[in-house]
Amino acid sequence: MPVRQREKPFGFPKPETPHGEIVILEERCKGCGFCIEYCPHDVLVLSKKFNAKGYHPPEVVKAELCVDCGFCRMICPEFAIYTYELKTGEKP
Amino acid sequence: MTVKTKKKEDKRIGLFVCHCGVNIAGVVDVKKVAEALKDTPGVSMSTDYVYMCSDPGQQMIIDTIKEKHLDGIIVAACSPTLHEKTFQEAARLAGLNPYQIEIANIREQNSWVHSDKDKATKKAVKIVKSHVAKAIRNENLEPIKVDVKKRALVIGGGVSGLQAALDIADHGYEVILVEKNPSIGGKMIQLSETFPTLDCSQCILTPKMVEVSRHPRIKLLTYHEVDSVSGFIGNFKVRIKKKPRFVDEKLCNLCGECEKVCPQIVPDEFNMGLSFRKAIYMPFPQAIPGTYTLDEDHCLGLSPVRCGKCKDVCEPRAIDFDMKETIIEEEVGAIVVATGYDLYTMQALGEFGGEKYEDVVNGLEFERILSASGPTGGVVRRPSDGKVPKSVVFVQCCGSRDTEKHLPYCSKICCMYTAKHAMLYRHRVPDGQATVFYIDVRTGGKAFDEFYQRTVEEDKVLYIRGKVSKVFKEGDKLIVWGVDTLTGKKVEIEADMVVLAMAMVKTDGVQDLLKKLKISTDIHGFVAEAHPKLRPVESLNAGFFLAGCAHGPKDIPEAVSQASAAAAKVGDLFAQKELSHEPTVVPVNDELCSGCGICVTMCPYGARTLDPSKGVVDVNEILCEGCGACAAACPCGAAQQRNQTDDQIFSMLRAMLRE
Repeated sequence: MPVRQREKPFGFPKPETPHGEIVILEERCKGCGFCIEYCPHDVLVLSKKFNAKGYHPPEVVKAELCVDCGFCRMICPEFAIYTYELKTGEKP
Repeated sequence: MTVKTKKKEDKRIGLFVCHCGVNIAGVVDVKKVAEALKDTPGVSMSTDYVYMCSDPGQQMIIDTIKEKHLDGIIVAACSPTLHEKTFQEAARLAGLNPYQIEIANIREQNSWVHSDKDKATKKAVKIVKSHVAKAIRNENLEPIKVDVKKRALVIGGGVSGLQAALDIADHGYEVILVEKNPSIGGKMIQLSETFPTLDCSQCILTPKMVEVSRHPRIKLLTYHEVDSVSGFIGNFKVRIKKKPRFVDEKLCNLCGECEKVCPQIVPDEFNMGLSFRKAIYMPFPQAIPGTYTLDEDHCLGLSPVRCGKCKDVCEPRAIDFDMKETIIEEEVGAIVVATGYDLYTMQALGEFGGEKYEDVVNGLEFERILSASGPTGGVVRRPSDGKVPKSVVFVQCCGSRDTEKHLPYCSKICCMYTAKHAMLYRHRVPDGQATVFYIDVRTGGKAFDEFYQRTVEEDKVLYIRGKVSKVFKEGDKLIVWGVDTLTGKKVEIEADMVVLAMAMVKTDGVQDLLKKLKISTDIHGFVAEAHPKLRPVESLNAGFFLAGCAHGPKDIPEAVSQASAAAAKVGDLFAQKELSHEPTVVPVNDELCSGCGICVTMCPYGARTLDPSKGVVDVNEILCEGCGACAAACPCGAAQQRNQTDDQIFSMLRAMLRE
């Protein structure tokens, strides 16, 4: 039986999840877009700017949604992106 | 199996025409029928009697068979579904092979549907004549004997399934208990307290759960689903799908580190979405088996990239992302269906604000709010802001007993659980007002009415007889519009919370499973019983038994009794050395079979396979139910049903159409 989706039942806070900080090494990026495709929370988009090689690197748009899952780091063929976990309470 | 039978020219057939009181004799001139058949070739005697199925009627048949040395008899009476067995038994007692009995149906297919006596009598004569043509061609047959696999499969790990499994195991037989969820416990484990004694539901169910998990003869398969079932009573082959849990239950030590680091937040099904869980979770603290489960649908992903946070922190190395769905095959003799129920969707009752207003909740959500193990620790709070509600309106029959728009049946337990809800609410919030809208209060059950009286008299719950028309929001209050049908006045109540007693319906998605089991349901999707009064725990399909709400709305004691009854029935079955299978199956004549395989595709029971080495069809006579689909389809006449051969059918037609 599907249960009802509630935002904040009883006004209690949601359980804590890890938060991640994303670091993009723009000059290494070749604009393949894998990190954008694989990010489960759609944190990244392709930026308008160019890097020195002439590619569009990704940019962070929803930093607060990053949970430091590391999908972007694992899928990046150029080792151009990584994340690290923020300490409890620290918000991006 | 055929045994030696007399040639058809030498056969002596006896005809017995039944009056069935006036059921037949009122329309068909039975004496005329008996008289008309007297000189038909093959018929050596014919007579009539008022009730053939009565003791004297049967005795007459037995005596006549012996006296006149009959080789076959025709009983012209009601449908063979009713008394074929009776007369077969009579024949057996007289020393005649039971498969030499023919039932000519002159009641359902004649007297009950016709009124013209002359025409009905003529039709009866033709029906009986056609059976004479068949009877002289009948062969002596012996039932096929089959072994019984003395192991049972129980589908569903709620209270009914648990009880059935325990009872069958205590009878001394092995049981496989399959539950699709990560833990056993079903809906009952979610309840706060149970009516009418206010026992804590978890406290009385968890000992049973532990007993099941420790029982040496119960194989507990949680997070498994039945994939397919083939075979027949006594010899089912079951394929069970093992869903990957991604956690080794033997290694998991419940430290909970994985849950802490998991980044995925999901509504908690156990708390009806009133709290959250992680994608790796344990459904509730007393869950059995005690292990975490990784919910694949909500995990960030397992392929090709994985977040792996849970695995990184798992000290006992219990997490294995490479687990795959696997199939287990088991052989069982009986299957108990205890698939439970779900609640009718609140979206169907838009006028009550179901699913629109956070503070309009269904019965199960309110159970979690009342429960000491629930998201509020047993303090009654409303979901929108956590305030303690000072006025709660309970609406009964939400979806039930509404032939026009919703479900026509009564969900049976709502009157009692609403009384319990209102009582418990008044205990927890002594200055709160509880109001119940009802159509009727039905309290049929031991100590049920006393409980309801207590709710009204001691706990001062206000019962209003009438229906609710609308629930809407004004500020932070819910306004309930209804009618008091005793005074005929409109009622308007300001409430902080509204609890809807939603109807009980079939379990979501259970129809796919029931289709695989090939068992029949009623129009509401609940499993149908073989007979509503005399066989209430058996399915129409042999070897399947019913327990709990899969069969229809029930309270806990009733579900438990039915489970025990089903287990007793399984015990009856397993106590037999062997089972008999009807010999009227459709074998293959190897000489005639061309190996076209048409019958293989026609067979609904999977009894026929093409043997590639011989180039002909092979028949598993045990699987064959004698439906005759293959015999009708066979272009070569190689598939002939025993005692229903093409020759017999054409002879019957010729006999019927001759005049």
